[in-house]
Amino acid sequence: MMDRMIIDGLAFALPLFIIAVGGIYSERSGIINLALEGLMGFGAFSGALAVVLVLRSFPGLQPQGIYIAMIFAMVGGALFATIHAALCIYFKANQVISGVVINILSVSLTAFLTRQLNSLIFKAPSDRFQLGVANRITIPGLSEIPVLGAAFRNLYPFQIAIILVAVAAYVLFEKSRYGMRLRACGDNPHAVAAAGVDVERIRFSAVVISGALAGLGGISFAYSISANFSPMIYMGYGYLAIAALIFGNWGMTTTLGAALLFGFARSGGYELARALEMSSTFNDITMTLPYVLTLILLIFFSKTNRVPRSLGEIYDKGKR
Amino acid sequence: MNKKNPLTAFLGNEKWQWLSIPVFAVVLSIVAGSVVMLLMGKNPLAAYVGILQGAGLVPKPNYAGGTGMLTDFTSFLDALAPMIFAALAVTVGFRAGLFNIGIAGQMLLAGFFATLLVGYSDLPWYLAKPLVLIIAVTAGALAAGLVGYLKHRFNISEVVSTIMMNYIIAYVTSYYIKSYFVNPVSRQSEYIQPAASLTLKNLRVGGVRIDVSIGIVLAVAAALLVYYLLYKTRLGFEIKAVGANKQAAEYAGIHIGKTTVTAMMISGGLAGLAGATFYLGHYASMQPGVLAGLGYDAIATSLLGNNHPLGVLLASVLITTLDKGATYMSSKVGVVREISGVITSLILLFSATGTYIRYRVNRQRQEQKEQQEHREPPEEQSASPAPGEVSAQQVEKSREANLKEGGDEA
Repeated sequence: MMDRMIIDGLAFALPLFIIAVGGIYSERSGIINLALEGLMGFGAFSGALAVVLVLRSFPGLQPQGIYIAMIFAMVGGALFATIHAALCIYFKANQVISGVVINILSVSLTAFLTRQLNSLIFKAPSDRFQLGVANRITIPGLSEIPVLGAAFRNLYPFQIAIILVAVAAYVLFEKSRYGMRLRACGDNPHAVAAAGVDVERIRFSAVVISGALAGLGGISFAYSISANFSPMIYMGYGYLAIAALIFGNWGMTTTLGAALLFGFARSGGYELARALEMSSTFNDITMTLPYVLTLILLIFFSKTNRVPRSLGEIYDKGKR
Repeated sequence: MNKKNPLTAFLGNEKWQWLSIPVFAVVLSIVAGSVVMLLMGKNPLAAYVGILQGAGLVPKPNYAGGTGMLTDFTSFLDALAPMIFAALAVTVGFRAGLFNIGIAGQMLLAGFFATLLVGYSDLPWYLAKPLVLIIAVTAGALAAGLVGYLKHRFNISEVVSTIMMNYIIAYVTSYYIKSYFVNPVSRQSEYIQPAASLTLKNLRVGGVRIDVSIGIVLAVAAALLVYYLLYKTRLGFEIKAVGANKQAAEYAGIHIGKTTVTAMMISGGLAGLAGATFYLGHYASMQPGVLAGLGYDAIATSLLGNNHPLGVLLASVLITTLDKGATYMSSKVGVVREISGVITSLILLFSATGTYIRYRVNRQRQEQKEQQEHREPPEEQSASPAPGEVSAQQVEKSREANLKEGGDEA
């Protein structure tokens, strides 16, 4: 039971975390990103579409499908994020509004394209791309450790990819010159501009990165929880990622903690219901656990939150 | 620059920008939608007419027995009511600087309690219907008021807390519906008693079936009331002041916490009414665990309506038309239904750039004005030293620019 809780918890927490990392990139550069939900969904759509098309021509590539999907999900998410970036940075739109609009656009556009492409290419009136659940990997050796070894058992391939990407994202964010400038953009863009750096360009790239990371998270959900791409992917995990990053106070490691908490609260709730042999309808009650927990924890931690100072402000070169 | 001139003139009139920019966005997206349909080899005109026909605004070529244009139109009004309420809920929150994403959850909670307490009772209609409204308003207002309180007291972003509450409400109500009043065949809650319903269904008028919506009357009244509240009352002024600048409002002696909670409760109450007209009017039943997409679309509708109660009325009509007419359009023209969602979101996308358009247009006019001033000596008369060389357009422009200047000073 403990094993299953760890395995399922991680499978949920890591995609959530990588989406939240995307949010951190965007928000620490000064752009509010409520669009994570839409970016995640569009990324998942792009990845799923790529796989379905590739497998149609080369059915032998089935085992490699998930890697193709991950790459295209990141590309698709990044491309879709340029809309949010352009609206917020060049069109000076209200960033909250832009985020909501991107989400609505993402839902309707992917629903439209999925149905249209299905009938066009596969001659089937379906609203989903079937993917199946990814094969799981167990790391020999490490998985033998008692209790904690479960963290290395039955891993989805995307979990390993997420860890690698997250490490790279961490290094870029915390240790590189680009990362330093990005963080400075969120607090004092005019100081960054005075140092001769193009603020708009940094912010644009940050939003694009956030789209790529959200796309990776999205395709991971598509390959595990739903086993397909359909409009059902818009379950609000993008919003949950926003909650995680606010709860994590816009820091990488603290956000990882928040995401893990969500993951384990979720799988723990399921296991609890199973252990108490409650009917499956009771799952609805245990499913509220991560959300109730967030609300309660926020009551204790929100006072000390430090929001990036110029988050949500439209950058105007002429204004000092 | 000269080419853009008619457009600049159309969009540049600041008095009408609240209307002209959304209209511009709508036209742009209709054009974009047409291009998509042309690419798919479909006739866009037929599609748009199909949407109007589906919404009962234009007669269809033929009707099934017992239905008519009035059937479609009354059904459209029935669907319009919750949209107006929900969009007004967003508007009130927005004006107070609060982003209420929890409309869907507040609707669900209100619909749930109204269904549970009144929907299955034997109360006569004159008790049941008002009770439904009262319960819905109370449930919505309390749920949203809690969000406002958490925001003020604990500094919890209303964006996060409303999202969390959406899920909590969706799951908890789903559990109760599934356990106690689910219909095993439809997997939805049992239909409510007609006495409690806010829509009088299947009335016969002149041989056709119609649904008479009580909600739409209330919704239009609510829009007028919100207008009155925001523009004619002290509370409305305080709400807008807090939304515009918290520090300044506090300095002016406005109680931030009280205003925040009150605005949120009004917003939630309106969301509750949206829930009542949605779950106990248009549908008469609830789907367990599903948050209404309307709750999110309402955010967009309110934005399109410039967060102005009367603009919201117009925007609601437009968005509901697109949604309601989509099914008929889809079967008539053979375009998938989802295209109407795409057009809706394009409208929103373009209207999100409204600030930018306003900024560009106004700057362009400014530039034109400055150019004129450079070229011209101060007096109007000597503005055209060689009359033959100055085009009529330029004179028109300069006159406009001068008018503009006067307008700015006024």
